[in-house]
Amino acid sequence: MTAKSGDSVSPSASAFTSDSSKSTKRVPPPESSESIQTRFRVIASFWAVIIFLGFPIWWKTTSIYRAHLPIQEMVDWADGKTCRPVYPLEIHVAAPSLQLTESQHLLRTTQHTLDDLNEFAAHHLRLKLANDTVAHTGDDKVDNLDNRPSDADAADIALTVRVLPEEGLVTPRSELQAHTTQLDVFYPPSQIPSPSTSNPPLSTFIAQELQRIYGEEKATIAHILSGESSALDSTSPELTESISRRLRRSMQYAETYHLSFSLFTPGSAPSSWDIEAAIQEYLAPLLHAFSPISNFTIDTQVQLYATFSPMTPAPVYDEAESAWTLKKEDLSAFINAAEWPLNPSIGSGPTLNFILYVPDPSQSPMIVKENRASSWIVPQWGGVFLLNPQLEKNQANPASLSQDSLQSAFKTFSHQLLTLLGTPSTPASLPLRLQTLVRIRAASLLLSASSTMGSLARLTESLPSIPIPANVASSVSITLSHLSAACSDLREGRFNAALASARIAENEAERSFFEKTMVGQAYFPDEHKVAVYLPLLGPIGVPLVVGLIKEVKRIVAAWKARRRAAV
Amino acid sequence: MAVDRRMVGVFGAAFVLRLLLICVFPSLPDLLTGRVEVSTPVNSFKRLQEGLYLYIRNVSPYDGGVFHQAPLLLPLFSLLPDIHNNPTPTAIIYFTVDLVNAYALVTISESGQSIQSRFHSAIRKHVRWDGVSVAAWFLFNPFTIATCLARSTSVFTTSGILFAVSNAVGGNSINAMLALGLASYLSLYPALLFIPLVLLCYDRVHQTSKQPPKAALYILQHAGILVASVAGLLALSYIITGNFWEFMSATYGFHLLVPDLTPNVGLWWYFFIEMFDSFREFFLGVFWLHLASYVGGLTARLRRQPLFVIASLLGVFAIFKPYPSISDASLYFAMLPLYRHLFPLMRYTFFAISAILYSSLLGPAFYHLWIYAGSGNANFFYAITLVWSLGLSILLADSIFSALRDEWEQDNPDMQGAEIKQV
Repeated sequence: MTAKSGDSVSPSASAFTSDSSKSTKRVPPPESSESIQTRFRVIASFWAVIIFLGFPIWWKTTSIYRAHLPIQEMVDWADGKTCRPVYPLEIHVAAPSLQLTESQHLLRTTQHTLDDLNEFAAHHLRLKLANDTVAHTGDDKVDNLDNRPSDADAADIALTVRVLPEEGLVTPRSELQAHTTQLDVFYPPSQIPSPSTSNPPLSTFIAQELQRIYGEEKATIAHILSGESSALDSTSPELTESISRRLRRSMQYAETYHLSFSLFTPGSAPSSWDIEAAIQEYLAPLLHAFSPISNFTIDTQVQLYATFSPMTPAPVYDEAESAWTLKKEDLSAFINAAEWPLNPSIGSGPTLNFILYVPDPSQSPMIVKENRASSWIVPQWGGVFLLNPQLEKNQANPASLSQDSLQSAFKTFSHQLLTLLGTPSTPASLPLRLQTLVRIRAASLLLSASSTMGSLARLTESLPSIPIPANVASSVSITLSHLSAACSDLREGRFNAALASARIAENEAERSFFEKTMVGQAYFPDEHKVAVYLPLLGPIGVPLVVGLIKEVKRIVAAWKARRRAAV
Repeated sequence: MAVDRRMVGVFGAAFVLRLLLICVFPSLPDLLTGRVEVSTPVNSFKRLQEGLYLYIRNVSPYDGGVFHQAPLLLPLFSLLPDIHNNPTPTAIIYFTVDLVNAYALVTISESGQSIQSRFHSAIRKHVRWDGVSVAAWFLFNPFTIATCLARSTSVFTTSGILFAVSNAVGGNSINAMLALGLASYLSLYPALLFIPLVLLCYDRVHQTSKQPPKAALYILQHAGILVASVAGLLALSYIITGNFWEFMSATYGFHLLVPDLTPNVGLWWYFFIEMFDSFREFFLGVFWLHLASYVGGLTARLRRQPLFVIASLLGVFAIFKPYPSISDASLYFAMLPLYRHLFPLMRYTFFAISAILYSSLLGPAFYHLWIYAGSGNANFFYAITLVWSLGLSILLADSIFSALRDEWEQDNPDMQGAEIKQV
């Protein structure tokens, strides 16, 4: 195809052999100046297209766009130089029965004791008199009111401690309310701390209680911030073990989790379940409480005639328990992954599978041999619950499972969900546990987004040939601004806001790191470009270049001749 | 020109042949419409039907990304009766367009511009076919008949180009520019013919008038006419579609960016299937520049024969344009018989014609093997399109060579018939 461009150029340069009849060589007629000019025009027209259109197109389409990234800032984040996450937890103390001075003294001494006990500086508890006490007790503390921050900037109140007198007690006792963030401390009225004592027993007690409540959280955050190896000195080995076990079991953090509830049964019944109502009733409140941390989507399915895989050891009838038992070590083979349609992932987020298994009447009830349990967790995957309906002899399974019969299963599923999402096991109050989870997630997201930034910075440094689109640069700047917002929110004690910022930061960091157009070029070394350009452009280019060289030679020769003639 | 009997005979025979074909083989038009060699995404009649369906139902015809043809075709075709119940009127229109194209060819041939122009006078003047023979070559060319029966919309582009040329050789330069504007509006690439066409008009003016206008001014004026005609058609299209950028990107954007890689007889589709994504834009630029760069070179080299430049460029387009079909080849084959006097100088006619016949017979067979039988792969069909392009390239290069030889012999009358060797 390219010979033609040569053809249109070269015939005028043809030489002609002599007529065969004559032996003397005839010289080809000299080229006329007109044909020389024509040739010049032809070559010039091709080269004009190449230079004025070809090179700009080449430059425009193959230049690698590298948006500017704040490399140093990104590396600083990854190295933890920019932000040192701190967790000042604000704890309100309300002592309605105490005088203002007394309560202030109590506060001071308790704080003192707490600070003595604390060995992890990043995580510290700040006691504060509850506002209502202040307002109630005195007009001499007006400045305190003025100092009260406005609502938007207010730190989250982690816990409210109510100090209440109770008759007939010898030593103080405490009671953590399971559904609120309130700790009630009851003390014998005789123990009202006098302003003179430096270390009243009530302060020590409150400090120890607080220390106990936040022990696990502190250890977890220390574990996350300092990496796998070093934890706090004081943390007991059991606690360390349980924390790392929990971290192993729980899912990676995701913006959205997909919950999949499946009813499996080996026979034809039950073929329906009142799942919608059950989810509304038992699960929705929990998911709502989780909404600052993650979003959830839910799907459900019913699978009849779901048999075990041939590899699974069959359940064994245990006379003593009068039940069919599964061995603990066989539980991992319980799920017939090959045949049960358990979708690994729908959409973007990871899937958590919850399986409700209703055994056949001939194998009912079915329990785990070692501990008579009827449910277990599959780490990072989901949970299983064995539902054994109350059956008379030779009675078939009910055709439908009512909402009530699902209650126990869903309680278990809720616990499993909490565990799988990495919620700490203590303290007993669910709001406190969720708050703890907020702080833990904020810490881990902050770290992970920072380290993604560091990886991206290293990647761009080490591969100079990959393009960096503008949206990566904007993602990076969003990430960095949200990271610093999250960091300052943490410092101010606004943990929910910090988590929200950290979520955005993590999202943007992931998006910038996994930008599609960047990855494509990463596997395309420079040597390949020869293979891309040469096959087409080589054949086209050779006649063009040769023509150009000839023409330049001719012009130079003509110019020299003219100069010689002038001299 | 008096309508002579021979012409009536040829035109009538061509019309009757086409009519016979659709009467005897009623399924033939639909079969041809589906062939990739005939129908490309930018001229397929099926896609036009889709656009028409949407247009009649007041939906944007470019919704759905199937229709990529100029919007002005839609109101035209919406006037015709429904193609499924009554295909004959549409077929008759296409037959008529073919005859009109043939008439334009007769005009071009009768003007004698192909052998005698301002700077050039062919040596073998006596070796020529008259207008009716040239029209017969066009009308009875199987490629033309297939294109006509398949109702490909490229016949309208063909009309535009042929009328531009016939008006230009007739000295009617404004009509020539308007016709070229229509062709460019329909398929974009004919705009590249502007330079040789305006030179043809200019030479014509030089021959007839005593005081010819200045060249630069003349070219600028005609460029203005061309731009105005295209702008007028675009404005009409805007009135029809209501969304300017939508139809611009669906039609001209589609021509330029080649997003649909349906196989055709051209060279682009396979190349861009294999291309690395990051180099796609670059090679789009290379391919288009390659196509466009011939304009300058050929015009400069063959300045004496602008009509021959147009003919050769049509051959170049038939090979290198993004969505070529056999209708482009048929247009080139229509122009070639005007240069009957060059045939004695051509050296590889046998090889070129064999390659073209070979590929036009084996092409459908290999396509069948690949798509339907499943016993071949894409390389089968691609190889045959390479042979097709090779055949056309040889023919094109050979004809350019003989035109140059003709010019050279004119310059050196003593060398007539001498053997030559290319170095």
